[in-house]
Amino acid sequence: MELVIYGIINSVSLILMSIGFALAYGVSRVPNFAHGALFILTGYITWIFLYQAGLPYALAVILSLIIIALIGAALYQLILIRVRGMPISEIIASFGVGLAILELLRWAGLRGMTYMLPPFMKESLNIAGVPVSYHRVIIVGAAMIMLFFLWYFTHYTKPGLALRAIAQNERAALVLGIDSDRAATVAVSLGAVLAGLAGVLLLPLGNIVVEMGYEVLVFAIAVSVCGGLGSWKGAVVASFLIGFAQIITVTYLASHYHFVVALLIIIIVLITKPSGLYGRQKELEERV
Amino acid sequence: MMQELRKERLDRGIKVRADSIYAISSLKEIMFLMGPGLILVFGLLVLPAVVSPYWQRVLCIAGVYVLLSISFGFLANYVGLVCLGGALFVGVGGYLSGILNAYFGLSPLLAIPLATVAGAFICTLLLLPCLPLRGVYFAIISFVYPLLAGRLIAATGVFGGTDGIAELDVLTNKWVNIYLIFILILVVVFGISRLVNYEDLGLVFRGVKDNEQAITASGLNITFYKAQAVFIGAALGCFGGAYLSHLYGWAGMSLFAIDFSILPVAATVVGGSGILYGPLLGAFLLIPISEALRAFGTLRIVFYAIVLVFFVVFWTEGVLEYVRRKYEQFEHWVRV
Amino acid sequence: MKKRFWWVVVSVVVIGSLMASLFLAGGCAPKTQQGTQSVKAEPIVIGSALSTGFLYGWDAEKAIKLAVDEINAKGGVNVGGEKRPFKVEVMDTRDLEPGVPVSDALLAVEKLILEKKADFFIGGPVRSEAALAAMDLMSRHKKVAIFTTGFLTPKFQELVAENYEKYKYSFRISGSSSNMVGEMLAVFKALTDEHGFNKVAIMVQDVAHARAGGDIMATQLKNRGWEVTGPMIYPTGTLDYSDGLFKARDSGAQVLFIWMDMPESVILLKDYRDMQLPALPIGFICAAEQPGFWEATAGKGEYAVAHLVNAGNAPCEATPITMDFVKAYKAKYNIEPEGYGTSSSYQAVYTLADAIERAGSIDPDAVIAALEQTDMVGVYGRVKFDEKHQVIPSLDPAEGVVPQLIQWLAGKRETVFPPSIATTQLKLPPWME
Repeated sequence: MELVIYGIINSVSLILMSIGFALAYGVSRVPNFAHGALFILTGYITWIFLYQAGLPYALAVILSLIIIALIGAALYQLILIRVRGMPISEIIASFGVGLAILELLRWAGLRGMTYMLPPFMKESLNIAGVPVSYHRVIIVGAAMIMLFFLWYFTHYTKPGLALRAIAQNERAALVLGIDSDRAATVAVSLGAVLAGLAGVLLLPLGNIVVEMGYEVLVFAIAVSVCGGLGSWKGAVVASFLIGFAQIITVTYLASHYHFVVALLIIIIVLITKPSGLYGRQKELEERV
Repeated sequence: MMQELRKERLDRGIKVRADSIYAISSLKEIMFLMGPGLILVFGLLVLPAVVSPYWQRVLCIAGVYVLLSISFGFLANYVGLVCLGGALFVGVGGYLSGILNAYFGLSPLLAIPLATVAGAFICTLLLLPCLPLRGVYFAIISFVYPLLAGRLIAATGVFGGTDGIAELDVLTNKWVNIYLIFILILVVVFGISRLVNYEDLGLVFRGVKDNEQAITASGLNITFYKAQAVFIGAALGCFGGAYLSHLYGWAGMSLFAIDFSILPVAATVVGGSGILYGPLLGAFLLIPISEALRAFGTLRIVFYAIVLVFFVVFWTEGVLEYVRRKYEQFEHWVRV
Repeated sequence: MKKRFWWVVVSVVVIGSLMASLFLAGGCAPKTQQGTQSVKAEPIVIGSALSTGFLYGWDAEKAIKLAVDEINAKGGVNVGGEKRPFKVEVMDTRDLEPGVPVSDALLAVEKLILEKKADFFIGGPVRSEAALAAMDLMSRHKKVAIFTTGFLTPKFQELVAENYEKYKYSFRISGSSSNMVGEMLAVFKALTDEHGFNKVAIMVQDVAHARAGGDIMATQLKNRGWEVTGPMIYPTGTLDYSDGLFKARDSGAQVLFIWMDMPESVILLKDYRDMQLPALPIGFICAAEQPGFWEATAGKGEYAVAHLVNAGNAPCEATPITMDFVKAYKAKYNIEPEGYGTSSSYQAVYTLADAIERAGSIDPDAVIAALEQTDMVGVYGRVKFDEKHQVIPSLDPAEGVVPQLIQWLAGKRETVFPPSIATTQLKLPPWME
């Protein structure tokens, strides 16, 4: 029972961390390696609003999500747009921006223990004899709602459909009058909001530290590679695969293998099916 | 009224002439052709002699990164393998040389070449199963290997575990230290550019990158050729690692540090991709910049990141392309 | 064209305001301050290569600067009749960051030696591997170094013992992990004697020193009749420790031994509190060392016990001068000493000054001889080096340097061990009664 509940929570955390990255890559083919930095930045902005400006928590969260959306859009419009279509350059440019953000935060004083966000609710409850803090329940709930909206957005709204159109066939989409750059801006900005949302949800569990920015990026990449680069449904499945695999190895094997299992899954998936669990058939692209 | 102008670039006369049969008609033309190479040779030979002892050490480290960058550039530009295994090469080479020296008592002058060859062989074997993979998939796997190797050493405690292997012999003469790697860089850079430009093997390598079907149709085994290329690339990295461990008399887990995988990419970006001299120049620029910024403490990484983004986004051609353009062409404004 | 213009305007405004808030809110950006030096004589340069982005780096930097300013305010060091001031040169090594090769840290050391002309070294490198490699450089350049932080491996004593002539330049004034384990075991013995505890669950971070420490603790405790669960090993950056906590609960552990220096261990302690796990959390917990811990856990970290390695890293009365140091530190930096590496770095400067004055010169061999004769009352006990150049530990401040274990009680760090300096009894959480 503990296994199931905490397996789900662990997997949902992974989904939250990786979905923004997977989405941005999936619809606009922009690998946003500043993902982890945006995650931490949102937490930090929320902290400023909350404690320096004294705003209510909900307002602080919403405001910081709006700001992070703008930053995401600016990141695309000012930087990434110029290196569009050159994967290595995109990776280096976005990683460089992320690095600059994180290290600037560290230099400006974001180190040590003082920066933390309060959990939304302090109490904990019992589910079938397993104590779970309300905050974790909220995380799972919020993730579910987010996934539903994401699904609705990409299937039933115009901008969402435009994003999918671009991802499926860029030329046809262009012919139909869909602006590729605008769609990509929306996608990166949406990815940034999702990273920020994950930050606001997950950071209250611990505190805001620069190191987490790098770790979140690693998790996001691991999950996306495993699920198939660019498929956000694949990312969801892969999150559950890795999340449960980790919990199961810790419970039945030993926690030594926590990290090794994650690495092994990646290597096995890559060697047998390089485009990931949900990657489209691209045999020719991925190997000789 | 505003006048619309645009910049026009024209090849210099000497370049046009030197491209053709008149290349050796005069000393001036010969010097034009050989100038860049001579500058490189003399630059590398003179530079270590004129800087302060501390910068000599910096140059030694820079030399290791230069070798890694050349290895990365060679594999990426001429064979089409984006290989982030720099850390793997350095680690395997460094540890092998350390083991040979500390456990078997070989002198560094023997241990280093042995570790280079054996290490390259081991790395090639390790990467063999994933050679059929392409592009980003190969990059990810080659990136994961050094992470795994580091963890294995920490977990099993072999080769001194986390403390590393101490008290290796060092090359005491600083001139030997620095010229060993600088002369090797020259040999490698000219050797590889000869290989890829004038030898049959180089032609096959380029074919592997550009047109695999042609290679297969010629009855050649692609994986075999890729393995050969990886062997060359790995040998460079392994030498760097072996050299590094004898520079400080130390072999430890941090030889598998991911900086060794990442920096060559950055060097290629800054220096300019396409030809081997780009990564070389990039590494020679980046390491000293990083050292010069050390005084800024943690802010150093911020500057570093900004420089990188600037090059990737706004100066895509890289330093070398820019210099080459200035060397070979002249520009002037013309009215549209 | 117009659109691009608006993008630029909007992002400049957003980024500009963010930067502004960064500097207003952060406010504690490192300032390079040079103490006003009235002394004319040529300064003695202390090099310190530290990973300044991390606790074990920046607290050492602060402590060294404090000690140097104090000494210079008194006119400097008396070198054979001439008063000479100290001057500190700090270099960032980044050696605590994963993925940074040791050669980078060693270059920082070489820069200090060759460019900044450092005469002595105090501080790091912090990571053991880098520090061991740096010992080689110290002997090659004949620089006396006193290591004060992070560097815990017993390999240090082995090297000095094996090859004294080569490694005689290095001294270590902070703990060795073998001693720290011994001190920990003493605490466990006290727990058995007082409360009859005999079951422990061990949770460690997946880094070399913590894993090795966890294994040693496990075998030692088993030998002493404890029932041991674990060690459970968590990768750096783990966000969820529930499985280990459940295992601890199911095994009926009364003590939770933790060895982690990642900030995420705060999550572990918060969850521990939420679950009301009937076990006492104790160990080497970097997060729980710092004064900000109480706020970071919103008080949920109460009852956590942390080993601070050397006394004086939190207020206590180990020797008459301990509180002087704590107060001076607080006056200068407006925060109490933050954790491991603070008092030892401060003490190292005074120990060096003392040795130089007795040697009457800054010649390495003379200073080494003087350091070996050192016997002074320091911030955390009596400072004496053994023949392996390791400072002699003890549980009595009159005999040697003492450790300090603190427990978080009602928002304060209370000293609970060793008994000679304890201010209060170790308390169990109310849900364990």
